[in-house]
Amino acid sequence: MVVTRLDSWLSEFGAPRRAEVQSPDVAGLLSDLERRYPRLRHRIRDESGSLRRFVRIFVDGVDISSLGGLKTPLAPTAVVDILHSIAGG
Amino acid sequence: MARGTVHVFVGTRKGTYVLESGPQRRRWKVGKLAHAGSDVFHVSPDPRHPGTVYANVNSGFWGPMVMRSRHWGRTWKEVSTPLLPQKKERKPRFGEEGDLAPLPITNLWHMEPGHPREDKTLFLGVDPHALFRSDDEGESWAPVPGINDHPTRSKWTPGFGGPCLHTILIDREDPRRMFVGLSAAGMFRTDDAGEHWRPVNRNVETPYLPEKFPEVGQCVHHVVPDGDRRDLFYRQDHGGIYVTRDGMENWDRIGKGLPDDFGFAVASPPAHPGRAYFVPLDSQSRMTLPGGFQVLEWSEARRTWRPLMGRRAFPGHFGVHREGLSCDTLDPAGIYAGTTTGQLILSPDAGRSWVQVPYQFPGIHSVAVASPEVP
Repeated sequence: MVVTRLDSWLSEFGAPRRAEVQSPDVAGLLSDLERRYPRLRHRIRDESGSLRRFVRIFVDGVDISSLGGLKTPLAPTAVVDILHSIAGG
Repeated sequence: MARGTVHVFVGTRKGTYVLESGPQRRRWKVGKLAHAGSDVFHVSPDPRHPGTVYANVNSGFWGPMVMRSRHWGRTWKEVSTPLLPQKKERKPRFGEEGDLAPLPITNLWHMEPGHPREDKTLFLGVDPHALFRSDDEGESWAPVPGINDHPTRSKWTPGFGGPCLHTILIDREDPRRMFVGLSAAGMFRTDDAGEHWRPVNRNVETPYLPEKFPEVGQCVHHVVPDGDRRDLFYRQDHGGIYVTRDGMENWDRIGKGLPDDFGFAVASPPAHPGRAYFVPLDSQSRMTLPGGFQVLEWSEARRTWRPLMGRRAFPGHFGVHREGLSCDTLDPAGIYAGTTTGQLILSPDAGRSWVQVPYQFPGIHSVAVASPEVP
Protein backbone atom coordinates (compact mmCIF):
# COMPACT_ATOMS: atom_id res chain seq x y z
CA MET A 1 0.00 0.00 0.00
CA VAL A 2 1.18 3.48 -0.84
CA VAL A 3 1.57 5.65 2.24
CA THR A 4 0.23 9.15 1.68
CA ARG A 5 1.07 12.00 4.04
CA LEU A 6 -1.22 15.01 3.66
CA ASP A 7 -0.69 18.66 4.45
CA SER A 8 -2.21 19.61 7.81
CA TRP A 9 -4.12 22.43 6.07
CA LEU A 10 -6.10 19.77 4.20
CA SER A 11 -7.71 18.68 7.46
CA GLU A 12 -9.99 21.68 6.88
CA PHE A 13 -11.54 19.57 4.13
CA GLY A 14 -11.87 16.46 6.23
CA ALA A 15 -8.63 14.80 5.14
CA PRO A 16 -6.54 12.73 7.55
CA ARG A 17 -2.84 13.41 8.03
CA ARG A 18 -2.00 9.92 6.72
CA ALA A 19 -3.77 7.50 4.44
CA GLU A 20 -2.93 4.20 2.81
CA VAL A 21 -3.93 3.93 -0.83
CA GLN A 22 -3.60 1.30 -3.51
CA SER A 23 -3.05 2.92 -6.88
CA PRO A 24 -0.76 2.50 -9.90
CA ASP A 25 -0.15 6.23 -10.26
CA VAL A 26 -0.57 9.62 -8.60
CA ALA A 27 -3.76 10.49 -10.47
CA GLY A 28 -5.43 7.32 -9.24
CA LEU A 29 -4.23 8.00 -5.73
CA LEU A 30 -5.84 11.44 -5.80
CA SER A 31 -9.08 10.04 -7.18
CA ASP A 32 -9.18 7.48 -4.40
CA LEU A 33 -8.60 10.17 -1.77
CA GLU A 34 -11.35 12.31 -3.34
CA ARG A 35 -13.75 9.37 -3.22
CA ARG A 36 -13.02 8.76 0.43
CA TYR A 37 -12.96 12.43 1.42
CA PRO A 38 -15.34 14.22 -1.00
CA ARG A 39 -14.49 17.73 0.19
CA LEU A 40 -10.97 17.23 -1.21
CA ARG A 41 -12.48 17.31 -4.70
CA HIS A 42 -11.22 20.35 -6.61
CA ARG A 43 -8.86 21.33 -3.80
CA ILE A 44 -5.67 19.50 -4.81
CA ARG A 45 -6.64 19.40 -8.50
CA ASP A 46 -8.81 22.01 -10.18
CA GLU A 47 -11.95 21.22 -12.20
CA SER A 48 -9.88 20.45 -15.30
CA GLY A 49 -7.91 17.83 -13.40
CA SER A 50 -4.71 19.87 -13.30
CA LEU A 51 -2.70 20.11 -10.12
CA ARG A 52 -3.36 23.48 -8.48
CA ARG A 53 -0.57 26.00 -8.93
CA PHE A 54 0.58 26.09 -5.32
CA VAL A 55 0.25 22.42 -4.44
CA ARG A 56 3.26 20.11 -4.67
CA ILE A 57 3.32 16.34 -4.62
CA PHE A 58 6.44 14.31 -3.90
CA VAL A 59 6.92 10.60 -4.53
CA ASP A 60 9.64 9.15 -2.35
CA GLY A 61 10.92 12.67 -1.83
CA VAL A 62 10.99 13.70 -5.51
CA ASP A 63 8.66 16.39 -6.90
CA ILE A 64 6.36 14.79 -9.50
CA SER A 65 6.91 17.82 -11.77
CA SER A 66 10.33 16.30 -12.50
CA LEU A 67 8.88 12.79 -12.84
CA GLY A 68 5.75 11.99 -14.81
CA GLY A 69 3.42 14.56 -13.31
CA LEU A 70 0.09 13.10 -12.30
CA LYS A 71 0.89 10.02 -14.36
CA THR A 72 3.92 9.24 -12.19
CA PRO A 73 3.77 5.51 -11.40
CA LEU A 74 3.70 4.36 -7.80
CA ALA A 75 5.51 1.35 -6.42
CA PRO A 76 3.57 -0.50 -3.71
CA THR A 77 6.08 0.73 -1.15
CA ALA A 78 6.05 4.39 -2.30
CA VAL A 79 5.62 7.27 0.12
CA VAL A 80 3.68 10.25 -1.25
CA ASP A 81 3.68 13.71 0.31
CA ILE A 82 1.01 16.26 -0.63
CA LEU A 83 2.03 19.75 0.49
CA HIS A 84 1.27 23.39 -0.17
CA SER A 85 4.14 25.22 -1.81
CA ILE A 86 6.05 28.30 -0.75
CA ALA A 87 3.83 31.16 -1.84
CA GLY A 88 1.94 34.12 -0.54
CA GLY A 89 2.73 37.14 1.58
CA MET B 1 -35.59 55.14 15.47
CA ALA B 2 -33.94 51.94 14.35
CA ARG B 3 -33.14 49.26 16.88
CA GLY B 4 -30.85 46.31 16.66
CA THR B 5 -27.42 45.75 15.27
CA VAL B 6 -25.72 47.07 12.17
CA HIS B 7 -23.44 44.37 10.71
CA VAL B 8 -20.64 45.33 8.35
CA PHE B 9 -19.00 42.53 6.37
CA VAL B 10 -15.47 43.17 5.19
CA GLY B 11 -13.83 40.92 2.60
CA THR B 12 -10.06 41.29 2.55
CA ARG B 13 -6.92 39.88 0.97
CA LYS B 14 -6.55 37.66 4.02
CA GLY B 15 -10.03 36.73 5.13
CA THR B 16 -13.43 37.92 6.36
CA TYR B 17 -14.28 40.27 9.21
CA VAL B 18 -17.67 41.11 10.69
CA LEU B 19 -18.12 44.38 12.57
CA GLU B 20 -21.07 45.22 14.78
CA SER B 21 -22.48 48.47 16.06
CA GLY B 22 -25.73 49.95 17.30
CA PRO B 23 -27.90 52.16 15.07
CA GLN B 24 -25.89 55.22 16.11
CA ARG B 25 -22.89 53.63 14.41
CA ARG B 26 -20.40 55.32 16.74
CA ARG B 27 -18.66 52.36 18.41
CA TRP B 28 -17.64 49.29 16.49
CA LYS B 29 -16.75 45.82 17.63
CA VAL B 30 -14.51 43.86 15.25
CA GLY B 31 -15.19 40.14 15.25
CA LYS B 32 -12.65 37.40 14.82
CA LEU B 33 -11.07 36.71 11.45
CA ALA B 34 -12.63 33.96 9.30
CA HIS B 35 -11.18 32.31 6.17
CA ALA B 36 -7.70 33.34 7.31
CA GLY B 37 -5.21 33.64 4.50
CA SER B 38 -7.70 33.60 1.63
CA ASP B 39 -8.76 36.38 -0.69
CA VAL B 40 -12.40 37.15 0.01
CA PHE B 41 -13.72 39.13 -2.93
CA HIS B 42 -17.26 39.63 -1.65
CA VAL B 43 -19.30 38.98 1.47
CA SER B 44 -23.02 39.23 0.90
CA PRO B 45 -25.69 39.33 3.62
CA ASP B 46 -29.05 37.99 2.47
CA PRO B 47 -31.75 40.50 3.47
CA ARG B 48 -34.47 37.90 2.88
CA HIS B 49 -33.05 35.72 5.65
CA PRO B 50 -31.52 37.90 8.40
CA GLY B 51 -28.40 36.22 9.73
CA THR B 52 -27.61 34.37 6.51
CA VAL B 53 -24.43 35.58 4.85
CA TYR B 54 -22.42 34.30 1.88
CA ALA B 55 -18.68 34.71 1.36
CA ASN B 56 -16.83 34.26 -1.92
CA VAL B 57 -13.56 32.78 -0.71
CA ASN B 58 -10.69 32.43 -3.18
CA SER B 59 -7.86 30.43 -1.65
CA GLY B 60 -4.55 30.83 -3.41
CA PHE B 61 -3.75 27.22 -2.52
CA TRP B 62 -7.02 25.32 -2.64
CA GLY B 63 -9.16 27.30 -5.08
CA PRO B 64 -12.52 29.09 -4.87
CA MET B 65 -15.18 28.16 -2.31
CA VAL B 66 -18.66 29.44 -1.54
CA MET B 67 -19.13 29.71 2.22
CA ARG B 68 -22.40 30.30 4.06
CA SER B 69 -23.14 31.45 7.58
CA ARG B 70 -26.51 31.22 9.30
CA HIS B 71 -25.35 33.27 12.29
CA TRP B 72 -24.10 36.64 11.01
CA GLY B 73 -20.66 35.25 10.22
CA ARG B 74 -19.94 33.67 13.58
CA THR B 75 -19.59 30.24 11.97
CA TRP B 76 -19.24 29.27 8.32
CA LYS B 77 -19.89 26.15 6.28
CA GLU B 78 -18.85 25.42 2.73
CA VAL B 79 -21.73 25.00 0.28
CA SER B 80 -21.51 23.98 -3.35
CA THR B 81 -19.11 25.78 -5.66
CA PRO B 82 -20.33 26.02 -9.29
CA LEU B 83 -18.70 24.23 -12.20
CA LEU B 84 -18.45 25.55 -15.73
CA PRO B 85 -20.08 23.19 -18.22
CA GLN B 86 -18.03 20.73 -20.22
CA LYS B 87 -17.41 21.86 -23.78
CA LYS B 88 -17.85 19.10 -26.31
CA GLU B 89 -15.28 20.55 -28.66
CA ARG B 90 -12.60 20.65 -26.00
CA LYS B 91 -10.15 17.82 -25.76
CA PRO B 92 -9.74 16.27 -22.35
CA ARG B 93 -6.84 17.77 -20.46
CA PHE B 94 -6.83 15.08 -17.87
CA GLY B 95 -9.05 12.29 -16.73
CA GLU B 96 -8.59 8.71 -15.87
CA GLU B 97 -11.54 7.65 -17.97
CA GLY B 98 -10.90 10.21 -20.67
CA ASP B 99 -13.62 12.47 -19.35
CA LEU B 100 -14.10 15.89 -20.80
CA ALA B 101 -13.13 18.39 -18.17
CA PRO B 102 -14.62 21.81 -17.52
CA LEU B 103 -12.50 24.92 -17.49
CA PRO B 104 -11.51 25.83 -13.95
CA ILE B 105 -13.08 28.81 -12.24
CA THR B 106 -10.32 31.15 -11.19
CA ASN B 107 -12.15 33.43 -8.76
CA LEU B 108 -15.61 33.93 -7.34
CA TRP B 109 -16.56 37.60 -7.61
CA HIS B 110 -20.06 38.77 -6.73
CA MET B 111 -22.89 37.01 -4.87
CA GLU B 112 -26.35 38.55 -5.26
CA PRO B 113 -29.38 37.32 -3.31
CA GLY B 114 -32.36 36.93 -5.63
CA HIS B 115 -35.64 38.80 -5.67
CA PRO B 116 -37.67 38.67 -2.42
CA ARG B 117 -40.35 36.60 -4.25
CA GLU B 118 -37.68 33.97 -5.03
CA ASP B 119 -36.37 33.54 -1.56
CA LYS B 120 -33.97 30.65 -2.16
CA THR B 121 -32.45 32.05 -5.34
CA LEU B 122 -28.89 33.35 -5.59
CA PHE B 123 -26.82 34.65 -8.48
CA LEU B 124 -23.05 34.33 -8.61
CA GLY B 125 -20.61 36.03 -10.98
CA VAL B 126 -17.20 34.45 -11.56
CA ASP B 127 -13.94 34.57 -13.48
CA PRO B 128 -13.86 33.48 -16.29
CA HIS B 129 -16.86 35.60 -17.43
CA ALA B 130 -19.88 33.60 -16.27
CA LEU B 131 -23.11 33.88 -14.33
CA PHE B 132 -24.58 31.07 -12.25
CA ARG B 133 -28.00 30.69 -10.64
CA SER B 134 -28.93 28.65 -7.59
CA ASP B 135 -32.51 28.02 -6.51
CA ASP B 136 -31.60 26.17 -3.34
CA GLU B 137 -29.48 28.68 -1.43
CA GLY B 138 -26.20 27.58 -2.99
CA GLU B 139 -26.54 23.81 -2.63
CA SER B 140 -26.41 23.50 -6.43
CA TRP B 141 -25.72 25.85 -9.33
CA ALA B 142 -26.72 26.12 -12.96
CA PRO B 143 -24.94 28.27 -15.53
CA VAL B 144 -26.95 30.99 -17.30
CA PRO B 145 -26.14 30.30 -20.96
CA GLY B 146 -28.00 33.35 -22.25
CA ILE B 147 -25.18 35.54 -20.99
CA ASN B 148 -22.34 32.99 -20.71
CA ASP B 149 -22.61 32.07 -24.41
CA HIS B 150 -23.62 35.52 -25.63
CA PRO B 151 -22.93 36.16 -29.35
CA THR B 152 -20.62 39.06 -28.46
CA ARG B 153 -18.45 36.95 -26.16
CA SER B 154 -15.58 36.82 -28.65
CA LYS B 155 -15.28 40.59 -28.21
CA TRP B 156 -15.01 40.43 -24.43
CA THR B 157 -11.55 40.92 -22.97
CA PRO B 158 -10.18 40.66 -19.43
CA GLY B 159 -9.68 43.71 -17.28
CA PHE B 160 -6.71 43.92 -14.93
CA GLY B 161 -8.67 41.88 -12.37
CA GLY B 162 -9.24 39.11 -14.90
CA PRO B 163 -12.21 38.23 -17.12
CA CYS B 164 -14.89 38.56 -14.50
CA LEU B 165 -18.62 39.05 -14.10
CA HIS B 166 -18.66 41.33 -11.08
CA THR B 167 -21.94 43.24 -10.98
CA ILE B 168 -25.44 41.72 -10.69
CA LEU B 169 -28.54 43.88 -10.30
CA ILE B 170 -32.10 42.56 -9.94
CA ASP B 171 -35.02 44.86 -10.56
CA ARG B 172 -36.94 45.45 -7.36
CA GLU B 173 -40.35 45.08 -9.06
CA ASP B 174 -39.78 42.39 -11.66
CA PRO B 175 -37.36 39.50 -11.00
CA ARG B 176 -37.21 38.81 -14.73
CA ARG B 177 -35.49 42.13 -15.33
CA MET B 178 -31.79 41.95 -14.46
CA PHE B 179 -28.52 43.62 -15.35
CA VAL B 180 -24.98 42.25 -15.17
CA GLY B 181 -21.61 43.93 -15.56
CA LEU B 182 -18.50 42.27 -16.97
CA SER B 183 -14.95 43.52 -17.46
CA ALA B 184 -14.18 44.33 -20.11
CA ALA B 185 -17.43 43.76 -21.90
CA GLY B 186 -19.85 46.24 -20.31
CA MET B 187 -23.38 46.08 -18.98
CA PHE B 188 -26.03 43.65 -20.27
CA ARG B 189 -29.78 43.59 -19.64
CA THR B 190 -32.35 40.81 -19.67
CA ASP B 191 -36.14 41.17 -19.42
CA ASP B 192 -36.97 37.46 -19.54
CA ALA B 193 -35.17 36.04 -16.50
CA GLY B 194 -31.88 35.50 -18.27
CA GLU B 195 -32.99 33.80 -21.49
CA HIS B 196 -31.88 36.70 -23.66
CA TRP B 197 -29.46 39.51 -22.94
CA ARG B 198 -28.51 42.64 -24.83
CA PRO B 199 -25.61 45.03 -24.28
CA VAL B 200 -26.60 48.40 -22.77
CA ASN B 201 -23.57 50.66 -23.07
CA ARG B 202 -24.71 53.44 -25.40
CA ASN B 203 -22.59 56.61 -25.03
CA VAL B 204 -20.05 54.97 -22.71
CA GLU B 205 -16.57 55.73 -24.02
CA THR B 206 -13.74 53.21 -24.37
CA PRO B 207 -10.58 55.35 -24.40
CA TYR B 208 -8.44 52.20 -24.61
CA LEU B 209 -10.00 50.93 -27.89
CA PRO B 210 -9.73 52.28 -31.45
CA GLU B 211 -13.54 52.47 -31.61
CA LYS B 212 -14.64 54.95 -28.95
CA PHE B 213 -18.30 53.98 -28.52
CA PRO B 214 -18.65 50.27 -29.35
CA GLU B 215 -21.63 48.12 -28.50
CA VAL B 216 -19.51 46.02 -26.10
CA GLY B 217 -15.97 46.23 -24.75
CA GLN B 218 -16.55 48.77 -21.99
CA CYS B 219 -14.65 48.15 -18.80
CA VAL B 220 -17.50 48.82 -16.41
CA HIS B 221 -16.21 48.95 -12.86
CA HIS B 222 -19.45 49.03 -10.88
CA VAL B 223 -23.08 50.09 -11.18
CA VAL B 224 -25.69 50.63 -8.46
CA PRO B 225 -29.41 51.42 -8.62
CA ASP B 226 -31.06 54.49 -7.19
CA GLY B 227 -33.10 53.92 -4.05
CA ASP B 228 -36.31 55.23 -5.59
CA ARG B 229 -36.40 55.61 -9.37
CA ARG B 230 -36.46 52.22 -11.05
CA ASP B 231 -34.70 53.34 -14.24
CA LEU B 232 -32.02 55.46 -12.57
CA PHE B 233 -28.58 53.89 -12.17
CA TYR B 234 -25.13 55.26 -11.36
CA ARG B 235 -22.08 53.86 -13.14
CA GLN B 236 -18.36 54.06 -12.45
CA ASP B 237 -16.66 52.95 -15.62
CA HIS B 238 -13.02 52.84 -16.64
CA GLY B 239 -14.07 55.53 -19.10
CA GLY B 240 -15.65 57.85 -16.53
CA ILE B 241 -18.71 58.39 -14.34
CA TYR B 242 -22.13 57.98 -15.94
CA VAL B 243 -25.80 57.99 -15.07
CA THR B 244 -28.76 56.47 -16.90
CA ARG B 245 -32.33 57.60 -16.43
CA ASP B 246 -33.97 55.12 -18.79
CA GLY B 247 -32.99 51.67 -17.56
CA MET B 248 -29.57 51.72 -19.24
CA GLU B 249 -30.83 52.47 -22.76
CA ASN B 250 -28.63 55.60 -22.75
CA TRP B 251 -25.83 56.78 -20.50
CA ASP B 252 -24.93 60.38 -19.71
CA ARG B 253 -21.38 61.17 -18.62
CA ILE B 254 -21.68 63.29 -15.48
CA GLY B 255 -18.03 63.20 -14.44
CA LYS B 256 -16.61 65.19 -17.29
CA GLY B 257 -16.09 68.36 -15.24
CA LEU B 258 -14.22 66.63 -12.41
CA PRO B 259 -10.40 66.71 -12.21
CA ASP B 260 -10.48 62.95 -12.93
CA ASP B 261 -13.59 60.79 -13.11
CA PHE B 262 -11.73 57.50 -12.90
CA GLY B 263 -12.42 55.16 -10.00
CA PHE B 264 -13.87 51.78 -9.14
CA ALA B 265 -16.48 52.22 -6.45
CA VAL B 266 -19.98 53.67 -6.40
CA ALA B 267 -22.78 53.45 -3.85
CA SER B 268 -26.21 55.01 -3.48
CA PRO B 269 -28.04 55.29 -0.14
CA PRO B 270 -31.58 53.85 -0.15
CA ALA B 271 -32.59 56.43 2.48
CA HIS B 272 -31.60 59.35 0.25
CA PRO B 273 -32.80 58.76 -3.31
CA GLY B 274 -31.12 60.86 -5.95
CA ARG B 275 -27.70 60.73 -4.32
CA ALA B 276 -24.69 58.65 -5.32
CA TYR B 277 -21.21 58.43 -3.87
CA PHE B 278 -17.96 57.91 -5.76
CA VAL B 279 -14.32 57.66 -4.67
CA PRO B 280 -12.27 59.51 -7.29
CA LEU B 281 -8.88 58.02 -8.12
CA ASP B 282 -6.02 59.06 -10.33
CA SER B 283 -6.52 57.26 -13.63
CA GLN B 284 -2.84 56.43 -14.08
CA SER B 285 -1.78 55.30 -10.58
CA ARG B 286 -5.24 54.00 -9.55
CA MET B 287 -4.68 55.72 -6.20
CA THR B 288 -6.23 58.64 -4.36
CA LEU B 289 -5.89 62.02 -6.01
CA PRO B 290 -3.44 64.59 -4.54
CA GLY B 291 -4.60 65.54 -1.06
CA GLY B 292 -5.79 62.07 -0.13
CA PHE B 293 -9.05 60.18 0.22
CA GLN B 294 -12.27 61.83 -0.87
CA VAL B 295 -15.89 60.83 -1.42
CA LEU B 296 -17.83 62.84 -3.97
CA GLU B 297 -21.60 63.11 -3.81
CA TRP B 298 -23.66 63.44 -6.98
CA SER B 299 -27.06 65.08 -6.59
CA GLU B 300 -29.36 63.98 -9.35
CA ALA B 301 -31.92 66.65 -8.45
CA ARG B 302 -29.44 69.53 -8.71
CA ARG B 303 -27.09 67.84 -11.20
CA THR B 304 -24.14 68.95 -9.10
CA TRP B 305 -21.13 67.49 -7.31
CA ARG B 306 -19.85 68.18 -3.82
CA PRO B 307 -16.99 66.73 -1.77
CA LEU B 308 -18.00 65.14 1.52
CA MET B 309 -14.82 65.83 3.48
CA GLY B 310 -11.93 68.24 3.76
CA ARG B 311 -9.02 67.82 1.42
CA ARG B 312 -6.69 66.46 4.12
CA ALA B 313 -9.12 64.43 6.23
CA PHE B 314 -7.45 61.12 5.33
CA PRO B 315 -4.17 61.89 3.55
CA GLY B 316 -2.22 59.24 1.70
CA HIS B 317 -2.11 57.17 -1.45
CA PHE B 318 -4.32 54.12 -1.73
CA GLY B 319 -7.26 52.77 -3.66
CA VAL B 320 -10.81 51.55 -3.15
CA HIS B 321 -11.96 48.48 -5.05
CA ARG B 322 -15.27 48.12 -6.92
CA GLU B 323 -17.02 46.49 -3.94
CA GLY B 324 -15.22 48.70 -1.45
CA LEU B 325 -17.95 51.33 -0.98
CA SER B 326 -21.34 50.63 0.54
CA CYS B 327 -24.28 52.25 2.32
CA ASP B 328 -26.66 51.03 4.96
CA THR B 329 -30.40 51.61 4.73
CA LEU B 330 -30.72 53.83 7.81
CA ASP B 331 -31.59 57.54 7.82
CA PRO B 332 -29.25 59.34 7.86
CA ALA B 333 -27.34 56.88 5.74
CA GLY B 334 -24.12 55.28 6.84
CA ILE B 335 -21.39 55.32 4.19
CA TYR B 336 -18.58 52.77 4.44
CA ALA B 337 -15.34 52.73 2.44
CA GLY B 338 -12.72 50.00 2.69
CA THR B 339 -9.32 50.81 1.26
CA THR B 340 -6.70 48.72 -0.48
CA THR B 341 -4.39 49.45 2.45
CA GLY B 342 -6.82 48.16 5.06
CA GLN B 343 -8.53 51.23 6.51
CA LEU B 344 -12.30 51.23 7.05
CA ILE B 345 -13.47 54.83 6.82
CA LEU B 346 -17.12 55.54 7.56
CA SER B 347 -19.67 58.23 8.00
CA PRO B 348 -22.69 57.57 10.26
CA ASP B 349 -24.53 60.67 9.06
CA ALA B 350 -24.63 60.71 5.26
CA GLY B 351 -21.20 62.31 4.89
CA ARG B 352 -21.36 65.11 7.45
CA SER B 353 -18.69 63.49 9.64
CA TRP B 354 -16.15 60.75 9.01
CA VAL B 355 -14.12 58.43 11.22
CA GLN B 356 -11.71 55.59 10.67
CA VAL B 357 -12.41 52.37 12.53
CA PRO B 358 -9.40 51.92 14.84
CA TYR B 359 -8.37 48.57 13.42
CA GLN B 360 -5.79 47.74 10.75
CA PHE B 361 -7.35 45.27 8.30
CA PRO B 362 -5.56 43.53 5.43
CA GLY B 363 -6.17 45.18 2.08
CA ILE B 364 -9.94 45.43 1.66
CA HIS B 365 -11.76 44.03 -1.38
CA SER B 366 -15.36 44.53 -0.33
CA VAL B 367 -17.65 46.11 2.23
CA ALA B 368 -21.32 45.19 2.63
CA VAL B 369 -23.86 46.15 5.28
CA ALA B 370 -26.86 44.49 6.86
CA SER B 371 -29.00 47.14 8.49
CA PRO B 372 -31.38 46.56 11.37
CA GLU B 373 -35.06 46.85 10.60
CA VAL B 374 -36.68 50.21 11.19
CA PRO B 375 -39.98 49.78 13.12
